[in-house]
Amino acid sequence: MVDYRIDRRSGVATYVQIVQQTKQAIRLGLLAPGDKLPTAREVVEATAVNPNTVLKAYRELEREGLVEARRGLGTFVRRSLGAAPADSPLRAELEDWAARARESGLEREDVAALFTAVLETHYPEQAAHAASAHTPQGDPS
Amino acid sequence: MTAALTTPAAPAAARPAGVPRQWRWLARLHRPSLIGGGALVLLAAAALVWLGGPLTDASAAAWKAYNACGFTPRCSYDQSAILLYKDVYNYVTFAVLAVPFLVAAWAGGALVGRETESGTARLAWTQGVSPARWLASRLVLPAVLTVAGTGLLAALHRWAWATGRDRIDTTKSWYDAATFHANGIVPVGLALAGLAAGALAGLVLRRATAALAAAAVAVGVLWGAVHAALPYLWPSVTRVTTLDEGPLGSGLHVGEGVLTAGGGRAAAPCLTSQMQSCRDTLADMGATAFYRDLHPASHYWPLQLVATGILLAVAGLLTYAAFRVLRRTTGTARG
Amino acid sequence: MTVPALEADALGKRFGRRAWALRDCSFRLPAGRVCAVVGPNGAGKSTLLALAAGLLAPTEGTVRVLGAHPATARPRVGFVSQDKPLYPQLTVAETLRMGADLNPGHWDADTAHRAVAGGDLDPGRRIRALSGGQRTRVALALALGKRPELLLLDEPMADLDPLARHELMGLLMGEAAAHGTTVVMSSHVVAELEDSCDHLLLVGGGQVRLSGAIDDLLAAHTRVTAPAGADLAPHEVVESRTTGRQLSAVIRPSGPLPDDWRAHTPSLEELVLSYLRNPAAPAPAPAPEILEAAV
Repeated sequence: MVDYRIDRRSGVATYVQIVQQTKQAIRLGLLAPGDKLPTAREVVEATAVNPNTVLKAYRELEREGLVEARRGLGTFVRRSLGAAPADSPLRAELEDWAARARESGLEREDVAALFTAVLETHYPEQAAHAASAHTPQGDPS
Repeated sequence: MTAALTTPAAPAAARPAGVPRQWRWLARLHRPSLIGGGALVLLAAAALVWLGGPLTDASAAAWKAYNACGFTPRCSYDQSAILLYKDVYNYVTFAVLAVPFLVAAWAGGALVGRETESGTARLAWTQGVSPARWLASRLVLPAVLTVAGTGLLAALHRWAWATGRDRIDTTKSWYDAATFHANGIVPVGLALAGLAAGALAGLVLRRATAALAAAAVAVGVLWGAVHAALPYLWPSVTRVTTLDEGPLGSGLHVGEGVLTAGGGRAAAPCLTSQMQSCRDTLADMGATAFYRDLHPASHYWPLQLVATGILLAVAGLLTYAAFRVLRRTTGTARG
Repeated sequence: MTVPALEADALGKRFGRRAWALRDCSFRLPAGRVCAVVGPNGAGKSTLLALAAGLLAPTEGTVRVLGAHPATARPRVGFVSQDKPLYPQLTVAETLRMGADLNPGHWDADTAHRAVAGGDLDPGRRIRALSGGQRTRVALALALGKRPELLLLDEPMADLDPLARHELMGLLMGEAAAHGTTVVMSSHVVAELEDSCDHLLLVGGGQVRLSGAIDDLLAAHTRVTAPAGADLAPHEVVESRTTGRQLSAVIRPSGPLPDDWRAHTPSLEELVLSYLRNPAAPAPAPAPEILEAAV
């Protein structure tokens, strides 16, 4: 079962957080294909979030093909998210690289920045918000 | 867009409209008042039965002994019995006459005023009881109980008074103010008017203590007015007597004076032509006879009925006003 | 088009000869929404809710609740007043039983008991012995037990500790999710409402300053930071402040913004505060509502 934690100060929209946390749960194997997602009522009673937000998140997940809504029964997980298993060759290569980065003196933040830059190049982020010229709220200026 | 993954709320048309069950909760909410009021009525009733039974017998026997004494210098009779009868009579009569004030104060304070002041009236109105129904239930049940209680006490009072009337020398006359009212149905009408006045005061003032005071004062004013108007509520009987006799006749006094030669009426300067000074004055005025307007004993019930009728009409008006105020404040839809 | 849950047209209320508590208020709230009524003390929020609940009669204008006159709609509406009136001499259990008796045929005992259960309440305790938060639970239980289509709550969370607030808010949202109940609640604390409410009604000085879906309202406003002295025309200015060499303002943009300005989406709290700080700010044209009506 998924326990949603909404962080109101994170600057990320609530429904996006629900989508992300659901995906994380699927990725981690907490939700397997065929499992029933909590009903909107259950989520809402636990998080005190507007029901429409939950429905929006579920619709987004459905749009991405991760879940499907069966009328009268609930929303069910459709497929799993490919996570590299613990002994995949990709993981071994990454372990190797991380060891080398450490040896050459890179700090944790340097590695994270490097990884994020490479990630951005190969997996560019889709525009998650509709607003065009607006940066998300919470900009410190 | 509805927010439900499950089926949405049933449409309003399918909702069954049951009648709210108020009586039980009205009794529960006013339980202390019911018990207190009931105890008061029972106590007063018991006192009246005691008065009309054993106390009357004891007092009558004492009076008999007193009268049998004549001018015997040393004669014993039970004076305490006579005094006890007198005291209890006065207290109980006061109690019977106080009931309308208590009903009015309770209606203004606990029944309506407290609910409008604390907002529990609004609670009822938003919990399935329409304002009109709410007010109606709060008037009907107390009205029935008031009529029953006040009626019982008045009937017992009349019985107690009647048993002592020929046997006790100092019985109050039927037209003595307190006895007149306590023996009849005027207290019932007054209590109902007080109930309506309390409800209206509670709705208008929305403060329990203010409504309590206003209602009690209203009862006082009503009673004063009814009592002042009492002699004129029924055509009086005129008794004409000679100048020698002076004005005569016992009953509820309406007016008295002299009849003049011209057929008119004038105030009486003095009371009997047997006194020389008086005879002259009367002769100067051209007085032909004394007259006295009064109500004999046979007029008791007509007067009571008219007075009570007026009070019931006032009660009706006040009740109507209360519903009007309620409708205007809450904007209840009509037609 | 479905019947709106709440609809006001030039609604006004005046008490006696004093100033108007509400004047010329018009708005429409579609069904199934969770609406926050926000505004300073004395703005008219309580009056508005009482008018919608059929407890007051309007001095001018009309208000329609679930498509009907408020008095007619009263059985379908749940209302909790700001002072949460309850009968002090009854116990908690008796109060709920009274609710069942006063609403025969449409009383949901389960929901009512669930609202009361969370507060660790002894059902045999008298109302007068309860704390403010516990009284709120009982009052909410009565309103929820009616299974209303519209819930009107006047500052329901004011007496509650954060845990109770979260729990009861969850309960309310659960009701909205399960039955499509429209929830209208007034509050001072805007930040908390941002997550649960999807509709906003901002009342200030007896007038409706803002009304609409929160997403639409936030999308229609921009918080800008510009060099001091920048000309904000032709955009509609809600509020602007100059500190030192910087001008910050909340505007309703009508056209592209200059490149040297920084633009952000305001938070709900920022939006509300900017309107409240400038009582003379013009209200937005009610275009979105009309468009919605045409759907």
